[in-house]
Amino acid sequence: MAMAALRREGRRFANPLLSPRPITAVRPSLFSEEDGPTGFRNISTQVVRNRMKSVKNIQKITKAMKMVAASKLRAIQVRAENSRGLWQPFTALLGDTPSVDVKKNVIVTISSDKGLCGGINSTSVKTSKALHKLVSGPDKETKYVILGEKAKAILIRDSKQDIEISITELQKNPLNYTQVSVLADDILKNVEFDALRIIFNKFQSVVSFLPTMATVLSPEVVERESESGGQIGDLDAYEIEGGETKGEILQNLAEFQFSCVMFNAVLENACSEQGARMSAMDSSSRNAGEMLDRLTLTYNRTRQASITTELIEIISGASALEG
Amino acid sequence: MVIIPATTGQMGVLPGHVPTIAELKPGVLSVHEGNETKKYFLSSGFAFIHANSVADIIVVEAVQVDHIDPSLVQKGLAEFTQKLSSATTDLEKAEAQIGVDVHSALNSALTG
Repeated sequence: MAMAALRREGRRFANPLLSPRPITAVRPSLFSEEDGPTGFRNISTQVVRNRMKSVKNIQKITKAMKMVAASKLRAIQVRAENSRGLWQPFTALLGDTPSVDVKKNVIVTISSDKGLCGGINSTSVKTSKALHKLVSGPDKETKYVILGEKAKAILIRDSKQDIEISITELQKNPLNYTQVSVLADDILKNVEFDALRIIFNKFQSVVSFLPTMATVLSPEVVERESESGGQIGDLDAYEIEGGETKGEILQNLAEFQFSCVMFNAVLENACSEQGARMSAMDSSSRNAGEMLDRLTLTYNRTRQASITTELIEIISGASALEG
Repeated sequence: MVIIPATTGQMGVLPGHVPTIAELKPGVLSVHEGNETKKYFLSSGFAFIHANSVADIIVVEAVQVDHIDPSLVQKGLAEFTQKLSSATTDLEKAEAQIGVDVHSALNSALTG
């Protein structure tokens, strides 16, 4: 039934094609393109024109997004670079100890809430997964703590049972230390850990980011390592002032270190996000521009061709009447 | 020389100081450079003094003492003292106590 209807339709469309066209010859209007019934000639130009309009709109959007990202980046870059001073003293004291082997690892994956920012989210997820494989083993426990919507969306697929906490909408307000330390407090309270491994994208320049891991050890591990003369053996050389016991002050130290490292990590990641978004949007507006150029060329060529065809028809019709 | 407000008391640090980790309390950090002295008010944090005559002081907030508004300090002090007396739960008490501590430290930094 449907086929029959189609065939009928087809015939109706085909008819004007097959029939001789005395009308155009008699009424030589070059401008009948617009007011005539949607003729077969106009179809292709109409489609191309619509396409051009949508590409132009997309280009406008990507350009605007690039501008927004650029201005946000400028604001946040200074803060990210200044915040590096917060973790550097801790590294000077405790050293960077990614290879300390512990039982309970918690991987803190930092990602963004919004997409359209190149590969930074997939990079941090990939790094986290690789790390998960690396540190997990028999009688070991590895958990995820996820910041940001994007990493959550990916990790929830295959590691749902390992996700301890996920936090989103961190960047609704401009990032500040108070907010991050509340967050860090939340993580410290709710997750048992021997080592926290924070994965984020360290900002290098607008086009390059380094997937980075920062390690924060629990006070017990720090004490054990420093006493056994392991990787942080220097700690024993320090006198400790304040607090009742060494353990207590190490506890405070580890918590403070975590909040400082987290603060830097979120800032660095936000900075990388804006940078990545800027370059992604830049390349997509360039792509849209190129596409628009190609479409304009096709459009003009088709239009020209249809005009030429019409002219030929008119002339040959006229000459046929004369002859 | 720097004078650090450690929890155990004021601590003067000169080059060659014994390596130390010190927890800080709200108070004044003074940095002496030749004859010049700069004073900062610190909220809290840590100080690491390394063996190579380098000292790292990490704090959540640091403000130059002459940037502090005395009238606001008095107001804050009164507010938190009132909160402390009216606090019912342990958490409220602890929070008010922190507020009182910080503001009285601010006050003594300004007067002292």
